[in-house]
Amino acid sequence: MTAMLDIKDLTGGYGAVQILNGASLKVEKGQIVALLGGNGTGKSTLLKATSGLIRPWGGSITFDGARIEGLAPDAIVRRGLVQVTQGKEAFPAMTVEENLMLGAYVVRSRAQRARSLERVYTYFPILKDKRRQLSGTLSGGQLQMVCIGRGLMSDPRMIMLDEPSAALAPQIVMEIFRTIHRITQDGMTVLMVEQNVRMALLLAEYGYVIKDGVIHIEGPATSLISDDNVRLSYLGGTVADREAHL
Amino acid sequence: MDFFLDLIVIGLSIGMVYALVALGISLIFSGLDIVHFAHGEIYMIGAYIGLSLFDKLKIGYVPTLTLAVIITGFIGMAIERLFYRRLTRAGGGYTVAGLGMVIAGFGMSIVLQNLAFLIWGAKARPFPVPYGMPLEIGDLSLPMSYVWIVVAAITFMVILHIVLRHTMIGLAMRAVAHNKDIAYLSGVNVPLAISLIFGVACALGAAAGVLVGPINYVQVTMGTQVLLKAFAAAVVGGFGSLPGAVLGGLLVGVVESLGAGYVNGAYKDIYAFILLITVLMVKPSGILGVEAKVKA
Repeated sequence: MTAMLDIKDLTGGYGAVQILNGASLKVEKGQIVALLGGNGTGKSTLLKATSGLIRPWGGSITFDGARIEGLAPDAIVRRGLVQVTQGKEAFPAMTVEENLMLGAYVVRSRAQRARSLERVYTYFPILKDKRRQLSGTLSGGQLQMVCIGRGLMSDPRMIMLDEPSAALAPQIVMEIFRTIHRITQDGMTVLMVEQNVRMALLLAEYGYVIKDGVIHIEGPATSLISDDNVRLSYLGGTVADREAHL
Repeated sequence: MDFFLDLIVIGLSIGMVYALVALGISLIFSGLDIVHFAHGEIYMIGAYIGLSLFDKLKIGYVPTLTLAVIITGFIGMAIERLFYRRLTRAGGGYTVAGLGMVIAGFGMSIVLQNLAFLIWGAKARPFPVPYGMPLEIGDLSLPMSYVWIVVAAITFMVILHIVLRHTMIGLAMRAVAHNKDIAYLSGVNVPLAISLIFGVACALGAAAGVLVGPINYVQVTMGTQVLLKAFAAAVVGGFGSLPGAVLGGLLVGVVESLGAGYVNGAYKDIYAFILLITVLMVKPSGILGVEAKVKA
């Protein structure tokens, strides 16, 4: 079985600063895969290189059997791979519905766009109530819903989420994660970058831990969650754990 | 009272011309983050193209206006693609906000002026449109050339509004103006959208040029004056704000007309800048300007 997304030996960075030092990962069709790691380890850079926002320096990115590294972001969206950025970036001067419709920009058919909109509203009913409001007036959780919803509007085959839980209340995080779970049950493939490691590993089937721009540890989520290295570094192991390890 | 109304009407119609040019400047600023100093020359080129079409092809005024607007729009897109885009690439992003672009704008304005000089000559040329009798509304007698300016300008503004608010391409243009990365990730072809914004801005400038032609002469230096007024208008209304550009344009037109009528016509060009300084002293962001960078 070939992977939906297959990244091999990816290198890249900004200006003269190299961030990715040969990262490789695979996402199978229908899977939720978590990409974990601390600040500045290259998580977001890897997503940006995959979505085309930055041009990778080397390595290959294969999506659904075709090489996509170096393509423009809009071309990658047309192939069915969408990135939702970190930081809940919406267009504050546009209404919720306009924000969502923008996500369907590559969809030619008006009827298809209307269907996508209805589908997003079934995932996030609150957005339907607020569809005429400017997105600048929304709460953080609702903004995150707008951003994920916008990513779903082009009916992609795979979506990459950059820290969907960042700066949100635990209750809202639960709600967002439940919806991500629902979306994958409907057939979506998900690559999720997270700092909230425990939650991410509960949701994901497979996980990668990135460190200094290379994949450091990988494995099924259930084994990662009990892995000592992962526990100590990212799950805030107890003092006893830490001492036992030393 | 009649004199006052006359001045208001003249002010509003000239204000519409400033508003169209200011709209273009504001569009380019919000979409490309650059202040386009060659926009007055785009207005001049548009007027010449209109005049040539009118003289040579003997088509009516409306087809002339429409064609000149479309042609200048494409010329604008070509200028952006061939010249400005190179600077933005060198900056690493989609646009570059900086001195390089300002100087490139000045350079472009000199190039376009000299190009127009080579093609059309230095002599001011009349744009003789047979308008017919003035429009009589009560005691007021409005020359048709002024009526035309107002009607056509409002038409262009309504079209712009509908495109920006109610079409996917307009949505994409607004998105690009606000956040290019997110627009790109939503599937918008950002480089093309930037060209399009530039083209639309140039088309509006050309509309202003063709509309003003019949009440003024068409000449190579006509862009310099209007650029200063349009900048004043854009700043008065709030730089980057489209409704602000229209409001600013109308205010500049009316203030200039009243000043010329009641104070002294010899100082006609000063009033716009008195207005500008006054507004900046009271509200530095302009009348409809926002302090934070919330655009589109």
